[in-house]
Amino acid sequence: MDGRVTLNQVAMRFGDFTAIQPTSLEIESGEFFSFLGPSGCGKTTLLNMISGFLTPSEGSVAIGGVDMTRVPVNRRPTAMIFQNLALFPLMSVYRNIEFGLEVRGIDRKQRRDKADELLDLVALSGSGDKPVAELSGGQKQRIAIARALAVEPRVLLLDEPLSALDLKLRQHMRTELKAIQRKTGITFIYITHDQGEALTMSDRVAVMCDGRIQQVADPMTLYRQPRTDFVAGFVGENNRFPGRVAAVDGGMVTLDAGLPAPLRGHADAASPLAPGDEATLYVRPEQWRVGSAGDSSLRFGGVVQAEHFEGAWLTLEIALDQGGTVRAHVPQALESAGIESQLAVGSPCRLDYSPRGALVLPGVERGRANEESVDVAATA
Amino acid sequence: MWRQLRNRFGLPLTMAIVSLMGIWLIVMVLLPQWQMIDYSFHPSLLPAERGGAKDVWSLTNYATFFHNEIHLAIFFKTIWSSVLVTALTLIVSYPLAYYLAKVATPGQAALCLLLLIVPFWINEILRTFAWYIIFAFRGPLNELLFALGLIDRPIRFLNGDTGVLVGMVYAYILFMVFPLYNAIESLDTNQIRAARDLGAGWGRTHRRIVIPHAKPGIATGCIMTFMLAAGSYAVPALLGSPGSRWFTQIIYNWFFEGGDWNQGAAYAFLLLVLCIVFVTAIMRIFKVGLGDIAK
Repeated sequence: MDGRVTLNQVAMRFGDFTAIQPTSLEIESGEFFSFLGPSGCGKTTLLNMISGFLTPSEGSVAIGGVDMTRVPVNRRPTAMIFQNLALFPLMSVYRNIEFGLEVRGIDRKQRRDKADELLDLVALSGSGDKPVAELSGGQKQRIAIARALAVEPRVLLLDEPLSALDLKLRQHMRTELKAIQRKTGITFIYITHDQGEALTMSDRVAVMCDGRIQQVADPMTLYRQPRTDFVAGFVGENNRFPGRVAAVDGGMVTLDAGLPAPLRGHADAASPLAPGDEATLYVRPEQWRVGSAGDSSLRFGGVVQAEHFEGAWLTLEIALDQGGTVRAHVPQALESAGIESQLAVGSPCRLDYSPRGALVLPGVERGRANEESVDVAATA
Repeated sequence: MWRQLRNRFGLPLTMAIVSLMGIWLIVMVLLPQWQMIDYSFHPSLLPAERGGAKDVWSLTNYATFFHNEIHLAIFFKTIWSSVLVTALTLIVSYPLAYYLAKVATPGQAALCLLLLIVPFWINEILRTFAWYIIFAFRGPLNELLFALGLIDRPIRFLNGDTGVLVGMVYAYILFMVFPLYNAIESLDTNQIRAARDLGAGWGRTHRRIVIPHAKPGIATGCIMTFMLAAGSYAVPALLGSPGSRWFTQIIYNWFFEGGDWNQGAAYAFLLLVLCIVFVTAIMRIFKVGLGDIAK
């Protein structure tokens, strides 16, 4: 069963508006693939082109190597799980799951066997005769999965199906979805704006912005080696230091960002830098070491502006002495306990990072309103 | 309901509202209805004989109906034709309502609704006359069919039931389109998409998803259309032929030509009973309650 999905220069335009720039992408058979991006980035449009609800303005969509561009939605080997699940409220659980089989003319006995098998898979055996309205949120979720799997799709498309669930259930369903994907070996294509979902479940993630794929990579690479300013800011948090390249030494770059000490970080192998280039250094909040005002081993000084207790860590907003604000995480493990008593709001502190934990990308992106990253020099 | 009203409006205003409603119901609905039923069980008498020895309860008026084969035939024909009108109206309205609710852009829907409503600014009798002209022996429809080479001699549309059926479908289409539109509009579009995605063609998607959801709307539309059709006078009077007489025309004749109000009241009461039976039957068939229809 070949569940490869190939997008070949697909583009989607609605009048003057380009929802999807020409995009090519190959999703492997049996892969858990996510499209991650803010709302309006075009991820749902891409999903609709794969499912057949939209015909691309340009380019082609192939599934398992067969061109599907003009194949209507009901003839495609895909099944979709909708954001609101779209279970049929007037039918029982059995009837919902069997709908796709009934359409295919499969007889009653086989339908029921298949439905029981799927109810088993989603751990809801015995609830086949219940009306859909009597199910809880998590149960509805599972029935939607069973209904989609019943038609034995080669590709399962999931449109933010977990967004309506509460946090605990959502985390639980992530594990289950991943387990079901492994068991069935079906290609899962998952749409989400929640990076936690994308990073925890996916084999690979495509980060999208303004109708363009910014980067396709496995979750760890995406976090450690973002390719673009958008990815660096959207996936996880980042502190930005725009400046000019002072020196390049193998994989390490020294950046002059108008701070008392030069900033060092490793460069992205795919985008080489030369001295004099404009570039931005990114430091993640967890890469900072924060110490008391007397700790002279830390190169930068600042004043704590605000602190947010987040359980496992404390997030500090620190105003650097040279201007600009940095967000830093202080882990709340027992060994570091006590340090936060010296880091009360208004007290001075010292901080530094390890160059191995910082990344330098070419270019200086200004004016992007991105609440998840802090642009240090722009406020300086 | 009383408590809800009182909490919202206070006691004096609630009393006023309820008593106005009560007066309206009693004076405008119940008393005239009662008067008619009372009439139907009394013989037709001269004013001087009222309250006299001859003024007794009797079933004579009903017996007249059941012994008159022509009237019986017209009665059943009216039922059958009204069912036919209802079915035709449903068939015409469903695609239109679906288009308005789920396919058209807001601009297209507004234009389409306007086109549907504008003719209804004109009186029903005038609209029916328009069809009378269209259907005339030497009228535009015959001219058109002739020009297209579809017929070689004019058709007498106004001779049989064709004119009446077309005229009624046209006259009552809005009463079917609006309840259908409301019902289909409330269906989550993802339900339709999900059915399609699971492999259902358009036919099955409508049969299994859209129509079951729209059932209360279909029931409401059918009830309204049937009652309007069964109670219609203008359309059969103008577009019908002597062979396609409607039961309402017989009632009219008893009242205004026969001068026998008591006989007419009996016939009118039979029509009322028929309509109540039909509404109940439709509600049973579609498994909907009064609450669903009132929505």
